[in-house]
Amino acid sequence: MSAAIATEDGIEMCSVRVGETLFGVPVMRILEILGQPATHPVPLAPEWIDGLAHYRGEVLTTVSLRRLLEMPRLETGGDVLVFEGQDGYFGLLVDQVSDVLVVSPADFEGNPSTLDDRRRALFAGTYKLKDGLLVLLDPERLDPIRLTGMEQEAG
Amino acid sequence: MDDLTREFLIESQEGLDRMERCLTDLEQHPQDGELLAEIFRSVHTIKGTTGFLGFSRLERLAHSGENLLGLLREGRLAANAEIISALLSLLDALRAILGNIEKEGSEGEGDDSAMVLRLQALSEPQRAVQEEPGVQRSRKKRRQTTKKSAAMSAMAISPSSQVQAAGQETPQCSMELYQAEAQVVQARTGASTAESTLRVDVDLLNRMMNLVGELVLTRNQILQRVGADSDLTLLSRRLDMVTADLREAVMKARMQPVSHVFSKFPRMVRDLAQQLNKRVRLVMEGQETELDKSLLEAIKDPLTHSVRNAIDHGIEAPHMRTAAGKDAEGTVKLRAYQEGSYVIIEVMDDGGGMKVERIRDKALERKLITRERAAQLTDRELMQLIFLPGFSTAEAITNVSGRGVGMDVVRTNVEKIGGKVEIDSRSGKGTTLRLRIPLTLAIVPALIVRSRGQSFALPQGALSELVHLTADQAKAQLEWLEGVALYRLRGKLLPLVFLDALLKQCREPMRESDVYIAVLNAEGRRYGLVVDGLADPEEIVVKPLSLVLKQIGLFSGATVLGNGEMALILDPGAIATRANIGMALEEDVHEVVEAEARNGATEYLLMQSGQEQMAVPLDKVLRIERIPRAKVEWLRGVPVLRFEGSLMPLHSTSLPGEEMTVVVCRDGARHVGVAVCHVLDVADGRPLEEAGTHAAAKNVTLLQEKVTSIIPLEAVPALPAGGLEWNQ
Repeated sequence: MSAAIATEDGIEMCSVRVGETLFGVPVMRILEILGQPATHPVPLAPEWIDGLAHYRGEVLTTVSLRRLLEMPRLETGGDVLVFEGQDGYFGLLVDQVSDVLVVSPADFEGNPSTLDDRRRALFAGTYKLKDGLLVLLDPERLDPIRLTGMEQEAG
Repeated sequence: MDDLTREFLIESQEGLDRMERCLTDLEQHPQDGELLAEIFRSVHTIKGTTGFLGFSRLERLAHSGENLLGLLREGRLAANAEIISALLSLLDALRAILGNIEKEGSEGEGDDSAMVLRLQALSEPQRAVQEEPGVQRSRKKRRQTTKKSAAMSAMAISPSSQVQAAGQETPQCSMELYQAEAQVVQARTGASTAESTLRVDVDLLNRMMNLVGELVLTRNQILQRVGADSDLTLLSRRLDMVTADLREAVMKARMQPVSHVFSKFPRMVRDLAQQLNKRVRLVMEGQETELDKSLLEAIKDPLTHSVRNAIDHGIEAPHMRTAAGKDAEGTVKLRAYQEGSYVIIEVMDDGGGMKVERIRDKALERKLITRERAAQLTDRELMQLIFLPGFSTAEAITNVSGRGVGMDVVRTNVEKIGGKVEIDSRSGKGTTLRLRIPLTLAIVPALIVRSRGQSFALPQGALSELVHLTADQAKAQLEWLEGVALYRLRGKLLPLVFLDALLKQCREPMRESDVYIAVLNAEGRRYGLVVDGLADPEEIVVKPLSLVLKQIGLFSGATVLGNGEMALILDPGAIATRANIGMALEEDVHEVVEAEARNGATEYLLMQSGQEQMAVPLDKVLRIERIPRAKVEWLRGVPVLRFEGSLMPLHSTSLPGEEMTVVVCRDGARHVGVAVCHVLDVADGRPLEEAGTHAAAKNVTLLQEKVTSIIPLEAVPALPAGGLEWNQ
């Protein structure tokens, strides 16, 4: 696959599924994908923390996209995308990682105004695909540090 | 910042540290040529490199310092307190500029003329120089009056022309000469260290430590899976050994001698003593004792604080000392030594000791203790009050002339890294503060506890004992007081914290199963942590948690266990705070009183071995383990136990049964295992007299009215030399 990502032809997106929705993360932002890693729960952690996963000798704090969206926890694990955040690496737990799609900047639109506040804060916009929508995820918005800040503002 | 500048900064800072050490030594031995040469070299190196890098302020300062040092080295001048003070302030000025370069990349603005003139004046003792306003000098009047004209010319020297001025006194050529000489010396000493040592980034060492941790985990997992295949067993043993060695080597690489921290003290003590008009001699011992770098950093502040306290509040003013019949010069002694897996650092002073009345009054005033309670406390108990938070405030510094300024901070900082602080003081004789620091922070011994199916690691440092209660016992013996659970431990009420309830893992704390109470002592607070189960103790590799999880406040890190499972590391101090556990002053003190009251009697651990009862002194016991007999291995006829990568000789008599109990004891620096059937009790032993001799019989004691033999730990044979090679 070509390394050129943000060419005029399109942007490479790693598509992931959570529940019914298809999300996309720019491929270049992903450090690594851990398939079905064992995660360890952390008592008293915020609701949206899935737990700890083992990643290259470090302990990786993992954010659950499902729980961020207030959906019930999945019984059968899921895949974890590894990003670099403000406070070192963090993981994002999704139901399943699927294909890499190429989207065109021309098909981009912002969040619909009817979306609830929580989701508006988490999503970075939408790409119109031929057969549906792809919600853009920006790892910066999912950084545990930012999420904690968001929670404190809300609560 | 480019590499060259960074290298220069590191080198210069090291040079200045060395110079500081030498300068304070020089005060004691003003004639020591080697010290002078060393100081000269430090300054000279800075001067040489700065010219090259274009740091003009540094160059100018270093140059004027070098002139003065040159004279000292040649013996034309003798080092006195005035010169040393000037050189110390030169050192501070150089440090400040280096700090600026590190922060901002430039030397920053500043006028060094005063400094330059001061040094210059000191290097021209023949000339009388008038006091320059703003230049601190206390020259003798006699010199000021001679050669008035010379004084005028010296005053007229502008900073930029000081090179020539110095040249008038010391001919330029001779200066060049000893510069060259210095370079030769430097090259000689430089080569010997440069070839055998290498500067390594601390981050890289941390990374290596991490990787070694990973390797240890992988090894543990492999060892658990090795089956009957004899080749694989052999290979895995080899892996086991190499991993242990590698871990030790990497840990060693992170070790630094405590002299890195100690070296700051001569200067600090000197300055502080002058400031307080006291006379203090600093004695340092065991500077070569090594400690993990991160721990060394962590104890820097507590230690500085303790030394300050010793001088400020410990050592009395000279006239008071003389009046008390002591040497007018007080002594502060810093001593470091290794004891088992701990490094002990003692700060001793021969000052006035702590005045318990003052401590009591202060504690009463601050309402830390009630009047009734205070009346019951002994001196020793009162002394522990200084560790209470709130005992020290800014006011205390001015009001209390006893000890105890910020001692709670010292204790908290030391306990944070798994250490302990003890204090011992005799009125009129002095005070000793003892810091117990673990050798390394990255790998800590921990007990693995289980709560609702999840494993947690509990650092052994805080653990004092474990109590096991069956479901029935738990029902009967756990007592409730308005929703608060308590347990009677040897007649005293121990507050309990249920781990599952604390972590909100379940709703109802009552249970129908066995419980374990881990009796913890965290920062002076004593409580029992109730868990569902225990697993083996393990040496865990500490991994830091992300900020979000640190905010929970109960976990100090995470780790991966030998079985591959992850575990959060519990922070006993934070749990105590969360559960509102108060200071267990009475409890602590009670034990001390008991220890004193026993007077001559020693506590022993009583064990059953076959038909015979045996005992070992309780203070020698490190831990007790139950292991299968098959784990005992033989090394050249000596029974040994392999435990977490280290080898331990075993005192063993033939025992029946598949399982045995091993009591791990301390014998000097080594650990010795004693294999027995089981452990019976703890009891006081009385010495027995051998009939007719009036001497205590050796290795025998009276325990529970029975004659019991004491196992002579020192008689357990040492590991055969070279045994490890042979065992492969």
